[in-house]
Amino acid sequence: MGEYKISSNLDAVFSALGDPTRRAILARLQQSDARVTDIAGEFPISLNSVSKHIRTLERARLLRRSVQGRDHLLSLNAAPLAEAAAWMEHYRGFWEDRLAALEKYVLDKKRKRQ
Amino acid sequence: MNAAMNAAATVVVRRTITAPPEALFDAWLDADALAIWMRPTGIRQTFAKTEPRVGGSYEITMHGDEKIHPHHGVYQVIDRPRRLVFTWVSHATEGAATLVTVDFLPKGERTEVVVTHEQLPEAAREAHTRGWTSGIERLATFCTPQGST
Repeated sequence: MGEYKISSNLDAVFSALGDPTRRAILARLQQSDARVTDIAGEFPISLNSVSKHIRTLERARLLRRSVQGRDHLLSLNAAPLAEAAAWMEHYRGFWEDRLAALEKYVLDKKRKRQ
Repeated sequence: MNAAMNAAATVVVRRTITAPPEALFDAWLDADALAIWMRPTGIRQTFAKTEPRVGGSYEITMHGDEKIHPHHGVYQVIDRPRRLVFTWVSHATEGAATLVTVDFLPKGERTEVVVTHEQLPEAAREAHTRGWTSGIERLATFCTPQGST
């Protein structure tokens, strides 16, 4: 039927996922929570640019930050990913059904002409 | 802002149909044809209007029992019978433009129709299938809870 409702956060999610380093950070956090400095140590880029990537992921609500003393602990928040996946599933189904209908339409038309 | 940030989520759907590419291509631009095949389950009637030229717009309005689903967009590329590109906007997308590319690939007496539907975050005009063609599979790996407790 109709269409899948896109939440305003979905743009931010797709944008955030468009970068391989950020996808790698999410994959890393899927294994376990980590401190910002742990993440920075595991990637061959500066702490500064890791922080930027982390802020982008935070804005998309793909990760949560909790402050424990001096440490900032990061954890994955998978809910927006499920929402993004649902959008894609919806349109996959929509276009599969439309192409089936296009086939029927074109074949019916051909049959009528014969 | 680097280029990769513009990469968009992409849905790719294919179907091989026993028909020439011209017949399939024309069915996307002909309002009477659209009214017939752009009618998903649960939609009683679809109304379509098209201005089939680059920069021209279209409207496809799907009337369900309870709700009306208007769609509209602008044709970006009309390359008969190879490729059609248009924007896709509906109130369900909260006015955000998405991009639909339809390729018609001749396979002997058949034609493979490939629909590529992209989310366009920000000003992502050039964001064509940049590493996200298998997006759903990658998302699935993130969505699957690991060692769930």
